[in-house]
Amino acid sequence: MTIDLLCKVVDNFGDIGVAYRLARALSELDDPPTLRIIVDNLEAFNALCPEVDPRQNVQLVRGWTVLSWHADALMSYRSCYERDPARVVLEAFACGRPEWLETMLFDPADLATKTIINIEYLTAEPYADEFHLMPSLTRSPLVRKYMFMPGFTANTGGLILDGHFLDSIGHGIDSRGRQAMRVELARRLGIAAELASEQHTWIVVFGYERDYSRIVADIAEFGRQRPVVVFAANGKSQPCLEAAWQNAGRPFALERLPFLEQLVWDALLVATDFSIVRGEDSLSRAALSGRPFLWHAYPQDDAYQLVKVRALLERMAPYFAPDLFAPLRETFIAFNDRTTDGPHVIGTESILPVLQAASSLQTGFAGWSAVLASNGNMAAHLMTCIHKIV
Amino acid sequence: MLVTSQLRVGSIFKVGKDVLVVQRMLGQKGGRNGMVTKMRVKNLLTGGTSDLGLDSGEKFDEVDLDLHNMKLSYIDGDTYVFLDQTSFEQYELAKDDLGDNAQYLTPEDDFDVEITFYEGKPVGVVLPIAIDRTITYCEPGIKGDTSGKSTKPATLDSGYVVQVPLFCDIGTKIKLDTRDGSFIERVK
Repeated sequence: MTIDLLCKVVDNFGDIGVAYRLARALSELDDPPTLRIIVDNLEAFNALCPEVDPRQNVQLVRGWTVLSWHADALMSYRSCYERDPARVVLEAFACGRPEWLETMLFDPADLATKTIINIEYLTAEPYADEFHLMPSLTRSPLVRKYMFMPGFTANTGGLILDGHFLDSIGHGIDSRGRQAMRVELARRLGIAAELASEQHTWIVVFGYERDYSRIVADIAEFGRQRPVVVFAANGKSQPCLEAAWQNAGRPFALERLPFLEQLVWDALLVATDFSIVRGEDSLSRAALSGRPFLWHAYPQDDAYQLVKVRALLERMAPYFAPDLFAPLRETFIAFNDRTTDGPHVIGTESILPVLQAASSLQTGFAGWSAVLASNGNMAAHLMTCIHKIV
Repeated sequence: MLVTSQLRVGSIFKVGKDVLVVQRMLGQKGGRNGMVTKMRVKNLLTGGTSDLGLDSGEKFDEVDLDLHNMKLSYIDGDTYVFLDQTSFEQYELAKDDLGDNAQYLTPEDDFDVEITFYEGKPVGVVLPIAIDRTITYCEPGIKGDTSGKSTKPATLDSGYVVQVPLFCDIGTKIKLDTRDGSFIERVK
C-alpha cells in the first residue's frame, strides 16, 4: 500500500516533527506502507532529518519519496503517480492538499475510491475520544474522509511509538544506561564531561517567550542542594532564559543548545531529570519519557489553553498520590495562566516544590507513561484504521 | 464553493449528486489549523441523517436554491407553518427539518426568515444571524456584574435555554447569535 503523507509547516518544527516521527514509525511496522512525504518547507524537514536536501523537489530519503508541495508538480511528479496513483492520503493537522494533488484526487475520469485521513493535533480534551475515527466529508463521494485523533486514552489513536524513542527509553530505564546516554550526549553537544555525572540534575527548558526570572530563582534555590545543569533549548525561550540567568548572576551551569535533530532531542528528553516543554511532539515525548515535566501550552484567546492544561492534568492525576499531585497541578496552572507571551510576561508559578519533589513524582510520571505506551502505537492504529476503511 | 467555516444550521451543499442540509451543530473545538466541527446533516435525496466531523479546510459545491422570505405563522405539534410574504401561500416544515433553528422561533416573531426550496419543495430555514428574544426564566440578576465572563442558564420565550451573563433577569430582552446560540448584548 502506498500512502501520501502531507505536511505544511505552520510555525517552528512541531508539524514536521510529528510527520517525520510518524513516517519513521509507519516504516518500522511489520507490513510497512510505501510512503510519499509531501512537505511545503523542506528546509524545516532538513533541520530535523539532515538527509533531506531542501533543493530537490523529488528525492529518495530512507526509502521514502520526499516531494516538495510547491513544485509545479503534475508534470514533474508524473513518474511517481502514473503507476501508483494517490489512493490513501494522510493530512497532518488538516493541512489541506497541494493543488496538483487535489487535481489528481478529484479527477472526474478517475473512478477509483480514495481515502483521506485528517490527523488532528494532540489534545487531552475529552472530545478527542468523541471525534476519533468520525466520518468526515469531501465534495466527492469517491474521496472519503475520516478524522483521526491522537490522544492519551485507549479510545483515541494514541501516541507515536517510534523505535528510536522506545530504544532511548529502554536505555534510560536504569541509571547505568542513562549515565551512558548522558556521556554520549555531552560528547555530541560539546559539554564538559563532568556535567554528565549522575550527581548533576539535568533540566531542559524549551518553552515560549516569557520572563524566566522566577524559574531561574527557583532553579538557583534548588541548586543549593545539588549541582544543576540547565539546557536552554534553541527557540523562543532561549534568549529569555539566558537574560534571566545573566540578571541573576549566572547562579548555575547553563548550556545554550543549538538546534538539535530529532533523534538527539529525544535522547536528551529521556536523559534529563526535569523538563519544561512546549508543542505537541515534545509534550508527547515528555509524557512517554516517564520523567517529570511541565507543559508550556500555547496561549489562546480567553486563555483557552487552560482548558487544555486542565484536561491534561485530569489524565495525569490518577497516577499520583493526591498530596504529591496538588503542587504539580498548581504549578501547571500558574505557569500557563496568561493571555499572551512576551519577554516581560511573568507568571505566578513556583517550580521549586516540583523540583524538590521530582524524585517522588517520578513514580507517577513513570506509571502514566507505561499506560500511554500500553495504549499502543499510533502508527499501528492508523494502519489498522486504513485497512478497515480501504 | 462553500468552505466548512461558512456552514451553519440550514446550509445546503452538494457531495457528488447528494444534497445535504445541516440540521444541527453538535460541537465545535479548536483544531490545529482551525475549528473542527461535529454536525448532523440530512441527505435531501435519501432522507437519511448522519453525524460528521469536519475540519476547516474542505470546500463544497453550493446548490442552486430558491429562497423565499416568510414569517412563521403558527406551530402545530411538530409542524411549523410559514406564510410567504409575497404570495401569501402557506408552507409546512417538520421540526426536524428546521434542526436547531426551531429553537429560536415563535409565532409572535416579527422578523422574516428565508425558507429554502430545493426542486420546488421547502427543505430548510435560514435565520438572521442576530435575533432578539426575551428571557422568561433565569435566576435573579446580579447588578454590577457587567463583565459577561460568568454566565447562567436562561429560558427564552421560544423555550430554548441559553447561557447569559449574570446581570440578565426575567423579562430582559437579549440579542442572540443564531449560529451558535451565544449572547451578543442586552437590547435596550
